[in-house]
Amino acid sequence: MTMSQMKTIELEEGWSFMQTGIQKLKKILEGLPEPQFSSEEYMMLYTTIYNMCTQKPPHDYSQQLYDKYKEAFEDYIGSTVLTSLREKHDEFMLRELVKRWANHKVMVRWLSRFFHYLDRYFIARRSLPALNEVGLTCFRESVYEEAKGKAKDAVIALIDQEREGEQIDRALLKNVLGIYVEIGMGQMDFYEKDFEADMLVDSAGYYSRKASNWIVEDSCPDYMLKAEDCLRREKERVAHYLHSSSESKLLERVQNELLVVYSSQLLEKEHSGCRTLLRDDKVDDLSRMYRLFSKIPKGLDPVANMFKQHVTAEGMTLVQQAEEAASNKAENVGGPQEQVFVRKIIELHDKFMAYVTDCFMNHTLFHKALKEAFEVFCNKIVAGCSSAELLASYCDNILKKGGSEKLSDEAIEETLDKVVKLLAYISDKDLFAEFYRKKLSRRLLFDKSANDDHERLILSKLKQQCGGQFTSKMEGMVTDLALAKENHSQFNDYLSGNAFANPGIDLTVTVLTTGFWPSYKSSDLSLPAEMVKCVEVFKEFYQTKTKHRKLTWIYSLGTCNVNGKFDQKTIELILGTYQAAALLLFNASDRLSYSDIKTQLNLADEDVVRLLQSLSCAKYKILIKEPASRTVAETDSFHFNSKFTDRMRRIRIPLPPVDERKKVVEDVDKDRRYAIDASIVRIMKSRKVLGHQQLVMECVEQLGRMFKPDFKAIKKRIEDLITREYLERDKENPNLFKYLA
Amino acid sequence: MNKLGRGHRDKVQQFMTITGASEKVALQSLKASDWHLDGAFDVFYSQPHPKSFTDTRHLEEMYNRYKDPYADMIMADGISTLCNDLQVDPQDIVMLVVSWHMKAATMCEFTKQEFVGGLQSLGIDSLDKFRERIPFMRSELKDDQKFKEIYIFAFGWAKEKGQKSLALDTAIGMWQLLFEEKEWPLVDHWCQFLQARHNKAISRDTWSQLLEFARSVDPTLANYDAEGAWPYLIDEFVEYLIENGIIEKGRVV
Repeated sequence: MTMSQMKTIELEEGWSFMQTGIQKLKKILEGLPEPQFSSEEYMMLYTTIYNMCTQKPPHDYSQQLYDKYKEAFEDYIGSTVLTSLREKHDEFMLRELVKRWANHKVMVRWLSRFFHYLDRYFIARRSLPALNEVGLTCFRESVYEEAKGKAKDAVIALIDQEREGEQIDRALLKNVLGIYVEIGMGQMDFYEKDFEADMLVDSAGYYSRKASNWIVEDSCPDYMLKAEDCLRREKERVAHYLHSSSESKLLERVQNELLVVYSSQLLEKEHSGCRTLLRDDKVDDLSRMYRLFSKIPKGLDPVANMFKQHVTAEGMTLVQQAEEAASNKAENVGGPQEQVFVRKIIELHDKFMAYVTDCFMNHTLFHKALKEAFEVFCNKIVAGCSSAELLASYCDNILKKGGSEKLSDEAIEETLDKVVKLLAYISDKDLFAEFYRKKLSRRLLFDKSANDDHERLILSKLKQQCGGQFTSKMEGMVTDLALAKENHSQFNDYLSGNAFANPGIDLTVTVLTTGFWPSYKSSDLSLPAEMVKCVEVFKEFYQTKTKHRKLTWIYSLGTCNVNGKFDQKTIELILGTYQAAALLLFNASDRLSYSDIKTQLNLADEDVVRLLQSLSCAKYKILIKEPASRTVAETDSFHFNSKFTDRMRRIRIPLPPVDERKKVVEDVDKDRRYAIDASIVRIMKSRKVLGHQQLVMECVEQLGRMFKPDFKAIKKRIEDLITREYLERDKENPNLFKYLA
Repeated sequence: MNKLGRGHRDKVQQFMTITGASEKVALQSLKASDWHLDGAFDVFYSQPHPKSFTDTRHLEEMYNRYKDPYADMIMADGISTLCNDLQVDPQDIVMLVVSWHMKAATMCEFTKQEFVGGLQSLGIDSLDKFRERIPFMRSELKDDQKFKEIYIFAFGWAKEKGQKSLALDTAIGMWQLLFEEKEWPLVDHWCQFLQARHNKAISRDTWSQLLEFARSVDPTLANYDAEGAWPYLIDEFVEYLIENGIIEKGRVV
C-alpha cells in the first residue's frame, strides 16, 4: 500500500500484469496443466485494478480498463473459441458449444472478480452495463450469433432422430437449449425466436408427413392410439429437455396436424370411424376419442353430433320395430308390444347414459346430444299411440296387480326411476299426466294397485321432476282412497248402531273429490229398488258427517256381486252396476225387449248395447237373445238363461272397455287452450306491448315444462283473445300486440 | 268570385267539383288554408260540415219518401226504392260507399239520423244532387286510404247485430265485391279455400288482416313470412295454395 501511494502505475505496466493473470485463466480453461489461483495472486490482481482506478487524473484508468476488460473476452473468443467451434459439426459442435459456454461463464466469473472495483464505482456512477453483462454480451454477439443457426439445426435433427426411435443424448440437448434461455438474461426472446419457432415449424411438418400416411393406412382406433402416443411423447420431450413454456405451443401444433387437419376424415372413416365405434360398442376407443378431441377447440362438436345421430338412429329403429310388430298384430292394441318398446327405450337410455358418463366424462355437450336424440324419437307416435300414453301404460303395467313384468321391489323402484327420467324427454307431459291419472284411477278404484308404497314412490319422483302442480291431483287421488277406507269403517259402525237402517246388502262406497279424478259420465240409471235403499242409507250416513257436500253417484264405476240361481247351481256373478241393474229386471219379467230394457234402465243406447252385448253375446251367456247373433240390435228381445252353468263358482263378466284415448286427448287439448290463454294474458299483462314472435317465444318458454305448444295453436289463441278484446293489433304494425286492460 | 285572380278562381272550381261544397264553403276553406288545395281539403273534411248549404226541409222530405211505414227508419224496401231513384243496382258496391258516408250501423238499414246526417255531410239535398255525386263516390274506392276505411267499415256494417264475427257467406260476397274494385288475383282461391277448409264465420281480425295481406304480400307469395303474425287462417291459405300447386315458391303456376 505504501508503495502504490508513492508510485503511480502506468496503463501499460498495469495491464501487462493483468495479462499474466488472464493468460493463466485461459490455460486453466483450455485444460492445460496450471495451478489454481492462489489468494495472493487474486489479491494482487484485484489490488492492481483498484490502484489503477483510484489514482488521481490523468492516471485514473477506469475507462481504459473497462474497455480492456471487454477486449480480453473478444480476444479469447476470436483466437480460440470460434476456431474450435468452426472445426466441429452436428452433435460434436453442440458439445463444444456447451463446453465453451460453460468456460465462458467461468471466465466471466473470474475476470469480473479481478475487475470488481469497476463495478462498484465507475460503472455504477456512469450507469454502464455491469461487468457480468458485458462478459455475457461478448459471448452472445460473437459466439451465439454465429453458432445459433447451426446449433438449432443440429438440435432439431436430433429431436427428429429421437422421434424416429433413436437414442439421443438428452442431457446435451438440455444444456444447449439452456444456452438459448440463459443468453436472454431473463428474457425468452432468444429461445423463442432462434430455436422454438423453427422447432415448431419442423414438428408440424414432421407430424403432417406422418399423419398423411397414417390416415390412409390405419384404422381410426389405430390412428388414435398413435396420436395419443405421439402426444404423450411430445409432452415427455418437453419435460426432458425443452423449456416448459414450449409445452402448450408444441402440443397445439402436433394436435393440429394429427387431429384438427384430419378430424372429419378420421371420425368418418368407413368401417372404423366414430359411427362404427358406437355401433360396435368400442368403449375404450370412444374414451380415447374423447380424450383426444376434448383438447382441441370445438373438437368434440362433431363427435357429439355423430353420437346424437347414432342414438337417434338406434331409437328410430326401435320405433320402427314396434311399428312393425304392431301392424303384424293389428288387434293387439295396447298389448305387450308397447311394453317391449318402452323397456327397450329404457335399455337404450341406460346404455348410452353409461357412454356419456364413462366414455365422455359427463361432458355437457354429450348430455345435450343424448337429450336431443331422445327427444326426437320419444315424441314419435308409435303404432297410433303417443309415447306419453305408452309410458303411462308401462307404469300401469308395473304398478298393477298381475302385470306382465314380474319384478322384485328394488327392480320396480329402479324401473320407475328410469321411467320418470324418460318423461323428461317427452314434450307432452300433460298428456302423460292425463293418461296416468286415468290408469291410476282404474288401479285405485278397482283395487288393482299392487303396492301402495310404489304408488307413492313414483308420485314423489314425478313431483321432484315436474313440480308439485303436476302431481297434486294424483296425490289427491291416493289420499282420497285412504280416506275412503276410513269412511267405510265408520259407515259399518253406523250400520251396526242403527239396525233399522241396514239395507240388507253389503255396500261399500268410495267417496272421491271431484277435481282430483278424471271426469266420469254420470247417468240417470234407474236403480233397482234394493240398491235405491242402499243409496238412501249412505246418504243419511253421509249427512251425519258433513252438511255441505253434494254426492254425485257414478254408477258406471260400480261393481256388484250378484247370486245367479241357475238350474244346475248358484253362481256368484261379479258385474258392473249397469249389468246388475239389467239382470235384476229379469227377476220381475221373463222376457224383455230391447226398448223395455232401455226405458226401464233409463240409459243411453250405447250403454244399453254395450251391457247387453256383454251378457248375451260374449263368453258367458246369462241372457238369451232373440234372434241369436253376434251383435245387439234395437229390435232384439232377451230372456234369462236358466240353463247357464260354468265350472267356476264365481265368475267375472267384464264390460267391453270404451276407448278412452280420444276423450283423454280432447280433454288435454281443452286444458291446453286454457293454459295458452292464461300464459298469453300473463305475458301481455306484464309487457303491455309485444311483438308477435316474442310473444310466441315467451309463451312456448312458459309452457314448455308441461307441453310443447304448437305455433298454430298459439296463433289461434291470440286471435281468440283479440276477438274477446284482451288484446288488439297495433294500427300501424300488425306484428305488434297491445294488452287491453 | 270575380274579384279573385284566375288561379284562385280555378282552385275554387276544382275544390267545388271534388267536395261538392258550395262556393261560399270553398272560399272559406281555401282562405283558411292560404289557398293550398290539399290544406283546404283537410280543413273541409276535418270540420263538422257546415249545414247551411243543405236544406233540412228537403232532406226531411227525402227521408220520408223512403221511410219504412212501420218503423222510424229506412229498411230494405226503402233502399230498393232509393236505388231505383238513383238508377243504381242495390248490389252495386257504390251503395257500400253511400252507407259508409252515412256511417250506417247495419246493412239494408238507415236510421233517420244516419240518412239525414250523411246527406248533409255530403252536401246533398235533392235526388239530382245525389245522383250527380254517385260517380264521385265510386271514384273514392280508387283511393287507397279511403278504400281501407270502407273495407274496415264493411265488416261492422255487414255482420249481423250482436255477433262478433261475420257469417262466411256474407264475407265471401263482400270480398268478391270489394276485390273487384281493388284487384287481388287470389280472391277466388281465397273464397274457395274458405268454403273447402274453414266453413266458419270470419273474425274482425282476419277480415282486416286480409286486406293487409292482399296489399303487402306479393301474389306469388315471394315476400310472405311464415313467422309473421298473419292470422292462422291466412297461414293455412298459404299452405293450401302451395299444397294444391296453385303457387310454387315465388311463382304462380
